[in-house]
Amino acid sequence: MNLLEVKNLDIDYVTKEGNLKVVRDVSFTLKQGESVGLVGESGCGKTTLAKTIMRLLPDNGVISGGEINYKGENIVTKNKEEIRKLRLNEIAMISQSAMNSLNPVYTVGEQIIEGIRSHTNMSKKEAIKRAEEVFAIIGLEKKRLKSYPHQMSGGMKQRAIIAMALSLNPSLIIADEPTTALDVVVQDKILSQITEIQKQTKSSMIFITHDISIISELCETIIVMYGGKIMEKSSSKVFFKAPYHPYSLGLQNAFPSILDIDKGDLISIPGAPPNLMGELKGCRFKERCPFRTDKCMEELPELKEIGEDHQIACHYPERVDEFREESKKKETWQMVSDRIINESKGDA
Amino acid sequence: MLNYIARRVGIMLLMIILVSTMIFFLFRAMPGDPTAFVVDPSMAPEARQVLIERYGLDGSLWDQYKVFIKDLVKFDLGNSFFYGRPVMKIITDRIPATLILMLTGMIIAYGIGVFGGALMAWKRGHKLESAGITIALIFRSAPTFWVALMSIILFSVNLKWFPAQGMRTSGYTGETFKEIFMNLDFLKHLILPSVVAGLYFIATPLLIMRNSMLEVLSEDYIEMARAKGLRENRILYKHAARNALLPVVTAGALFLGSAIGGMVLLETVFSWPGLGREIVQAVTRHDYPLAQGAFIIMSSLMMIMNLVADILYAVLDPRISYR
Repeated sequence: MNLLEVKNLDIDYVTKEGNLKVVRDVSFTLKQGESVGLVGESGCGKTTLAKTIMRLLPDNGVISGGEINYKGENIVTKNKEEIRKLRLNEIAMISQSAMNSLNPVYTVGEQIIEGIRSHTNMSKKEAIKRAEEVFAIIGLEKKRLKSYPHQMSGGMKQRAIIAMALSLNPSLIIADEPTTALDVVVQDKILSQITEIQKQTKSSMIFITHDISIISELCETIIVMYGGKIMEKSSSKVFFKAPYHPYSLGLQNAFPSILDIDKGDLISIPGAPPNLMGELKGCRFKERCPFRTDKCMEELPELKEIGEDHQIACHYPERVDEFREESKKKETWQMVSDRIINESKGDA
Repeated sequence: MLNYIARRVGIMLLMIILVSTMIFFLFRAMPGDPTAFVVDPSMAPEARQVLIERYGLDGSLWDQYKVFIKDLVKFDLGNSFFYGRPVMKIITDRIPATLILMLTGMIIAYGIGVFGGALMAWKRGHKLESAGITIALIFRSAPTFWVALMSIILFSVNLKWFPAQGMRTSGYTGETFKEIFMNLDFLKHLILPSVVAGLYFIATPLLIMRNSMLEVLSEDYIEMARAKGLRENRILYKHAARNALLPVVTAGALFLGSAIGGMVLLETVFSWPGLGREIVQAVTRHDYPLAQGAFIIMSSLMMIMNLVADILYAVLDPRISYR
């Protein structure tokens, strides 16, 4: 059985100006012990998706369709108390901003113990012991349990947050950009620790990042999101060798390989993510895609199987060779940039 | 920490001397001749002279100041012109009444204000929120004496629930602190003025708590607390309110100053035999020693309360440590 099964999920943010369609028709599954990486630009809906799995959406966030089945039970229809029991115990989150995720007026130990005790009948002593255990796993001295957050470095705080997430052996860990705030050396250490722990505990993981290179090391599957929709879903091995979707090709350009560093400037994707308010027509990537056709302007491409465990949402999977060739050229993207400027002139 | 407190106390003593000096000269600068008020002008000049000398009003301003400071160091505030008794004794007699009234008012205001403010932020947009703000602001903007008078009309005159004035039923005499303050009669007299005081004070803690709660509620550690699967009540009181409390404590200490000021009006309306009323009378009577003494004691109280607030702050917020 699948541990997690997200089916046709739609999420909206209700605002005064109208509904913001942050996530549309997202489906994926996750088996026990597997991890999936979510990548995409800021605002593409990855954090919203992750929070929804824990039902941590802000008050104006609404799940407007679809199911999230966790161990066969639909999370969407569960009540507050049922959700509360699930959090940390079953699904734990390593949050985006570890720097501010610890309450400054309590010691780190108190905060970990509090989490343990709100889900189990452990005595304070047992909870302290458990906290010491997870601290040992993550490589923090146990005397650090008595530290206040302001007495710890960023890396230590991030470790403490990870320790907290591990404290009850959750089946699913959601890591939302856990290392963005850290320097590269600490980042690397912590990532390898996370992988290590994940292997030991056999928990599944959803890893959210804008850094696709991290996914290649950590996750079996990669999901590329854009404008609230899945653009490409693939095993990461296949993806890093041969991405299909024009957006993925653009993303690949934006990440330098250390080998061809002298090739000159990075090629970035011109333009900005689409506005998700109002009626959305055609492919979400149409404004910034160098290969768009009239069909792309009108018709939303469905997610199609194009190989084993490999799906993309593009009308033209058969033109991939041409796309790959063209997308490596600067002129291709320069054309998009010119087009965007022209279009905005037309609007004005 | 002890070091810090010792240093603060040292600075406080210096400040008290400074404040006393200012108060001393301020009263001397007041128009009107104290001798005319204190000593009956119809007396024989010889008798007047004797009295003026006895009060120490014959020396130069500088001589008077030297005597004043010398006595102050010995905690001697001199004798009241009007009562002829030591000022210290009069003040220590009056101060418990004022403090009890003020602190009861503060407890009412802070108790309700802090919890109410937290609740208002938690239920943002609820009717309770706008109602709470409106009520708090009405009682803050309405003149205290007017609210006091209206409450007397309603609760004492019409409903006859509480006595209208004073601290005890006339005829009752108590000697010790316990006899005066620890009984039902006193409590009945206390309720009305302290509730009016509380209503006047409540806007500060209520609104500050609400604002600071709203700020805290958007912090990442609140989301983290939710992600940990804590119960709502625990998130509200243990995580959010605890952090939101910090600015309320600071504001509370600063607020004490105006609170003592507000007491003067309330004590007058309710004929509450406290320090506030005594000050007003002392000033109009040109009773220098008593007025001076009362002001000095009040400013010392303020400074002590500020120190207490600072210490409390360090206890509440581990990020702050004093050296």
